[in-house]
Amino acid sequence: MPLFGIFLTFIAFEIGVAIHKKWRYSLVNPLLIANVLIIGFLCVTGISYETYKIGGDYISFFLGPVTVVLAVPLYKQIQNLKKYWVSILAGICVGSLTSIFCVIATSKIFGLSETLMLSLALKSITIPMGSVVSAQIGGIPSITIIAITITGITGAVTAPLVCRFFRIKNPVAQGVAVGTASHALGTSRALEMGEVQGAMSSLSIGVAGIFTAIITPIIIPYFI
Amino acid sequence: MRILLQLALILGISFAGELLHRYVGVPIPGNIIGMLLMLILLCLKIVKLDHIKEVSNFFLKHLAFFFLPPSIGIMAAGEEVMSQWPLLMFLCVALTIVTMAATGWTVQLLSRNKRENPTTNHQPSRL
Repeated sequence: MPLFGIFLTFIAFEIGVAIHKKWRYSLVNPLLIANVLIIGFLCVTGISYETYKIGGDYISFFLGPVTVVLAVPLYKQIQNLKKYWVSILAGICVGSLTSIFCVIATSKIFGLSETLMLSLALKSITIPMGSVVSAQIGGIPSITIIAITITGITGAVTAPLVCRFFRIKNPVAQGVAVGTASHALGTSRALEMGEVQGAMSSLSIGVAGIFTAIITPIIIPYFI
Repeated sequence: MRILLQLALILGISFAGELLHRYVGVPIPGNIIGMLLMLILLCLKIVKLDHIKEVSNFFLKHLAFFFLPPSIGIMAAGEEVMSQWPLLMFLCVALTIVTMAATGWTVQLLSRNKRENPTTNHQPSRL
């Protein structure tokens, strides 16, 4: 019955929002709270993820139209995009390469299996792109999706803290950083940080995704 | 424009992106093509911001909500992930922060010589 998953999602998210409103700490993220609540609820009651997913899929469906709407903040910021496009592109390329090479390096250091390394390499790009490229290079798409989700939640939770700690003050730089590192989930937070940040983050999801999708299959064979 | 018409327009563009991906073979995911299509239509003034105002505001304001169901997929993690999860969790978190810092620094350094700051109309909107 799809209503179960839909209802549970709404209730958990509303609880998350209420808790977030009460404390307002960066770490008290509505999505993170809702995620823990739903998983906790399913574990306690013994209801399977598949049962939840029947309803959850109705909500996930809207990710398509929601991504389309990300063009709106981007359009509103087209002037900044024209003005800073060189630094934006350079930032996205450096960021994507950093992500891929760090995964390769840490996988070697910690002795992770090759499949795990391949699955993690795409963790900073958006789910539909990451899962497809993961299969293409020999990773396991479901592991990639998990890595993408953890990455996204990390971005959404830590974005303002990371920007403050590393003294990233330029709003364009903040937006590109969040979007490149943590795709659309991070972008949901960037939109809260400001209009410029939200727009630049939306832009970076697509560009970082395309860049990573092209460059990863080229780089990876040298490290296997 | 009426809400349902706004939604129809957005769904239509989303659908067009999906078709271009699936049947024309554009190697970019459908929703990203949809986003580019929407941007082009806005730039050409074929679609005006007013045409999709209410629905786009609603979606943007509640963006995180739509990511909640896919994030529960963590529950379905296989044996290989479960046996090494503290390490994988640590790597994902740490590398996200490193990536964010590297990207932000690059953009900030390269745009330092631009005199004017980007136009900031800071609007903190909470979920």
